[in-house]
Amino acid sequence: MRTKLDACLSAVNQILLGKEPQVRLAMACLLARGHLLIEDLPGMGKTTLSHALARVLGLSFQRIQFTSDLLPGDILGTSVFDKDSGQFVFHPGPIFAELVLADEINRATPKSQSALLEAMEEGQVTIEGATRPLPEPFFVIATQNPVSQGGTFALPESQLDRFLMRLSLGYPGKAAERALLLGDSRRSLLPRLEPILDHRELGLIQAEIPQVRASDALIDYVLRLVDATRTQPQFAWGLSPRGSLALLAAARAWAFLAERDYVIPEDVQAVLPAVVGHRLRDQADPAGHGGSALVQWLLREVPAL
Amino acid sequence: MNRRWRPHWDRWLARRIPASGSVRLTQRRIFIVPSRVGGAFMIALGLMLLAGINYQNSLAYGLTFLLASVFVVAILHTYRNLAGLTLKAGGTTPVFVGEAGRWRVRLESSGRAHQAIALGWLPADLQSVDIAEQGSVTCELNAPTTRRGWLRPGRLRVESRFPLGVLVAWSWVDLDQPLLVYPRPLPGELPLHAGADQQSPEQGRLAHGQGADDFQGLKAYQPGDSRRRLDWKAYSRGQGLQVKDFASYSGLELDLDFEALDGDIETRLSRLCHWVLMLSERQQSFALRLPGLYRAAASGDAHRDACLQALALYGSPP
Amino acid sequence: MSALPTIPRISLTWLLVAQALVILPLLAHLPLWILALWLGCAGWRVQIFRMRAAFPTAWAKGGLMIAAGLGVYFSRGSLVGLDAGVVLLVAAFLLKLLEMRSRRDALVLIFLGFFVVVTGYLFDDSILVALFSLLPVTALLAALIGLQQSAIAQRPWPTARLAGSLVLQAVPLMVLLFIFFPRFGPLWSLPGPNDKGVTGLADSMAPADIADLSRSGALAFRAQFEGEVPARSELYWRALTLERFDGRRWSQSSLAQSPQTAQWQAAGESLRYSVVMQPSGQPWLFSLDVARTSLDSTRLMADFRLQRNRPVDRSLLYGVESWPQAVREPQLDAARRAVTLQLPADGDPRTREWAAQLKREHPHSEQLVQALLRHFNQQPFSYTLRPPRLGRDSIDGFLFDTRSGFCAHYAGAMTFVLRAAGIPARVVAGYQGGEFNPAGNYLQVRQFDAHAWVEYWRPQIGWTRVDPTFQVAPERIEQGLEQALSDEQSFLEDSPFSPLRYRQFAWLNQLRLGWDNLNYGWQRWVLGYQGTQQLELLQRWFGQLDGRLLALVLVGGGGLLLGALALWLFKPWQRERDPQQRLFRQFARLLARQGVHWQAGEGARAYAARAAGLLPAQAAAIEAFADLYEARRYAGEAIADAQLWRQLRLLRRALPWRLRVADKRTQ
Repeated sequence: MRTKLDACLSAVNQILLGKEPQVRLAMACLLARGHLLIEDLPGMGKTTLSHALARVLGLSFQRIQFTSDLLPGDILGTSVFDKDSGQFVFHPGPIFAELVLADEINRATPKSQSALLEAMEEGQVTIEGATRPLPEPFFVIATQNPVSQGGTFALPESQLDRFLMRLSLGYPGKAAERALLLGDSRRSLLPRLEPILDHRELGLIQAEIPQVRASDALIDYVLRLVDATRTQPQFAWGLSPRGSLALLAAARAWAFLAERDYVIPEDVQAVLPAVVGHRLRDQADPAGHGGSALVQWLLREVPAL
Repeated sequence: MNRRWRPHWDRWLARRIPASGSVRLTQRRIFIVPSRVGGAFMIALGLMLLAGINYQNSLAYGLTFLLASVFVVAILHTYRNLAGLTLKAGGTTPVFVGEAGRWRVRLESSGRAHQAIALGWLPADLQSVDIAEQGSVTCELNAPTTRRGWLRPGRLRVESRFPLGVLVAWSWVDLDQPLLVYPRPLPGELPLHAGADQQSPEQGRLAHGQGADDFQGLKAYQPGDSRRRLDWKAYSRGQGLQVKDFASYSGLELDLDFEALDGDIETRLSRLCHWVLMLSERQQSFALRLPGLYRAAASGDAHRDACLQALALYGSPP
Repeated sequence: MSALPTIPRISLTWLLVAQALVILPLLAHLPLWILALWLGCAGWRVQIFRMRAAFPTAWAKGGLMIAAGLGVYFSRGSLVGLDAGVVLLVAAFLLKLLEMRSRRDALVLIFLGFFVVVTGYLFDDSILVALFSLLPVTALLAALIGLQQSAIAQRPWPTARLAGSLVLQAVPLMVLLFIFFPRFGPLWSLPGPNDKGVTGLADSMAPADIADLSRSGALAFRAQFEGEVPARSELYWRALTLERFDGRRWSQSSLAQSPQTAQWQAAGESLRYSVVMQPSGQPWLFSLDVARTSLDSTRLMADFRLQRNRPVDRSLLYGVESWPQAVREPQLDAARRAVTLQLPADGDPRTREWAAQLKREHPHSEQLVQALLRHFNQQPFSYTLRPPRLGRDSIDGFLFDTRSGFCAHYAGAMTFVLRAAGIPARVVAGYQGGEFNPAGNYLQVRQFDAHAWVEYWRPQIGWTRVDPTFQVAPERIEQGLEQALSDEQSFLEDSPFSPLRYRQFAWLNQLRLGWDNLNYGWQRWVLGYQGTQQLELLQRWFGQLDGRLLALVLVGGGGLLLGALALWLFKPWQRERDPQQRLFRQFARLLARQGVHWQAGEGARAYAARAAGLLPAQAAAIEAFADLYEARRYAGEAIADAQLWRQLRLLRRALPWRLRVADKRTQ
């Protein structure tokens, strides 16, 4: 099974050049049944990454482009009167896919955003009184553009907390970009990707993640980290229990990807920036994005052992 | 302390206990000497020894020696009560000149309980706290503020006389947490920039009073938005924190100007401070002009704080 | 000192307890009104604490002080002197509690308490009192600790526990100080307490005085011999000689205090022994004839008694060497002869006549003495502690009418007869015999061992001891008073519960002797540990002794003890409670020696990888340890700590400084 996972990773890496750590994190996020927020400039490969992941994991894929005139119905689906049967027939929206890419989520109004986020949280949608389950597995990869803020509705803290990880892809390295320029268009490579895992295998892997051993010593480390965010003055607020759970789940998935059946502090450290970066704010700068400096502080100052 | 030796002492202390946001009291950082009570105790022991000698009484000798040994053993206990304690800067809240400055200091025990730890700035009274085993306590220290800018209250004295009071163990720590002191607000005429629309303050107020600012809609709360404009009704409906968005007439933007005032620098800053507070309270958008500094018009808590900070730090070296 | 206005509750509680504990052992030595004052003050103070009463006004305080002063004056007859001083001190201690408001007052009160404990030792310094005094001292320390605690009161017990542990931790250091701290002589002389109620021999003797003493089981002194203990019948402990007779009482003569030195020649074997004397309130010491002691300010007087220049008012230890066969005063000077032949001008005519008759029958004094002893032995004389009353001519009455009495009667009568017959003679008062304590290998001599015997003088031979009581009741000399009185049931009849009466119960006797042995050790090694004894002990341990060595031992020993205590208190080896963490710290220390320091945010694997990169030669050993550690700590594998330690040892060997040492060795 792990060899298949490795195959998945390398397949995605061939599409998205020079982004091994981010791909690995994204994979860990999906294995830990978490949703992913990618924050980056346009054209950095956000869509490519999501699409490639969907392909290799054998998941059905839907993309929703969020715009300011997007309505909740556009995401969830609507009932349409069918003249033949004389009944309302439900037309499922794009959310009824196994992997949903919510592109530029901050462009939509809060109303539409929350329609997506509630679906993410509950794994089901309620439309016109009927509750419809979402497919299993169900992942959301949302992207947002941090720079052009004009006419956007930034996700509030409470919504950010629902994403297990926040990633930023960043510019590719020189070698990777050279390969990018010389080779085929990345998007054209996508259809050639073959599914490597099937649903059953993915389910097995996901079931195995919580079995990864987290010893008392490791839990102590997580507690020290969480405690530091709650007691140190530079943190505007501390990590919520949901945040600490997310941290442990992601660390387990990371350890699993590293072919270990136990978690070590290095696993926690590897996922820490992605998991807690968007959940923390600097006291001195509540409006800004001091999260990553705080994460660096945590990595440096909190004793790992 | 002798004035001549003061700088040497400070330098030596700065090397030994460097300023830091978190200081753990260790052997190198704790000093210990007999206190005045200890002196009295020793005199009492001397008298008891004299009784032992003159009456050739072995038990009087014995009790004297026992108490002297207790004194010596108390050195270890007094030291132990302070050692291992970690002091951490717990942040400050900016205040206006004349208000009592407040510093939060967090004391953490890394094992033992610590009793009756006194801390504060001499010569003012020290504040006494107990810290439970593995526990922590945040205490708030006060000191008067007399001028604007960053206030560094000097080294904090941490001392312990527990258990017997015959010895005092202490340390001087610098938690490196300066307090921002804003100028004292002083009511006065609204100082508007001469270049802007020649608009009287009455008009500005009138415009505000008429409710000319249009309600634009709701937008999600961002830290830094004024809390006064939170839409609590929407919040109670479970729609999250939202802020009522007003558009104000750009022509009514106020431009506070340092140069429009006269008097000495402090008075001018105090006047500006007053108006920054007033306008922020009314959620009026305003700009601030200081010599060499311009803050574009905006409103909200973040803007107010930035303006106040600029006023507090005006003229001080960066 | 930041003077808190109020006294914490815990401190007040312990002060009240301490006060009770301080006063309790002293009550026997204090006037009764002190008890009333104490209860009143303590009650008032408690009411103040419960907000039911106010602090005393200035008038009330002044009135109480004057009342206490008057009370002292009327009960002690003076305001100066130790006895009055102690009562004043205690009264001040009580009144101070009442008016105590601030922390400073409480401190004064605590220090006063320590002083009162010390004055208590002047009255009673037994082992039980010493042990008991640890209680008030601990309570006073608890009060002192309570003053430092934060005002929000907790429970009082932890404070007392802390005080107790402080005391216990101070004990080793105290013992060191006690042994090595140099003892000085008194800087100035101070009167001792008067009401210690000592019993013992006085400097004059009517027969009834000895009878009184015989009713007391109190200890007079203990003696420990180097080598064999002499036979009981040889143990005549001389205290003083009584040379003057006024018809009723025997007392010391005017020559007793003369600065004359004793005339004697040593002969035969000497006995060495040490004596621990109970306080007697008298200056003379007890010894076998003829004694020489190393004790300073003590000398052998002309009548062969040992006398110190001041009374023995606390227990005293001295070493003695005695020559029992010495020849004493072979020549008698005129003054001494006159004194030892002195008789009242008239009285006891029958005895005088009988003495003249004896003198005629036995011209040699030796024969006369033998005849006299035979007379006591053969005539129906009896030994009793309940003699019939004697009339005006007491010697006549005893010798010819009642013929029953005890040692004082026999010694007095015999001396009288000898003097009347022209032989110089005198009564010697002291103790005879003693009980051997096998547990401690020493003799204990009690007041009921008090005895009187006779010395007579012959030219060239000097003074000879003779004991008429032996002729009447040899068991008194050979076995002791109890046997001599076995028919009479009068032994210790006034103290039915004295353990001495129950010597027939073996276990009880064992217990009594054991307890006495403990007291002996206490007297000898603790109470008697003064100048000379300290010097002897220290010289035995260190040979030559000088101030530098003493200071070195005090400072060095104190430092060692304190270091040991610090180790025990701080337990640096337990600072890291987790054994695996200890392992890792050790690992980090090894690598830090190579310049690779562990950083807080670094996991074991990351640290090992960094170290391996910097120390490629030892990479294998470093990573092996890290893997093992990780497997133990995070994978939960059952790996013994010993295995980790082994891996750590391998690493230590692999690291360069070890190699360098090995290289040197091979060269």
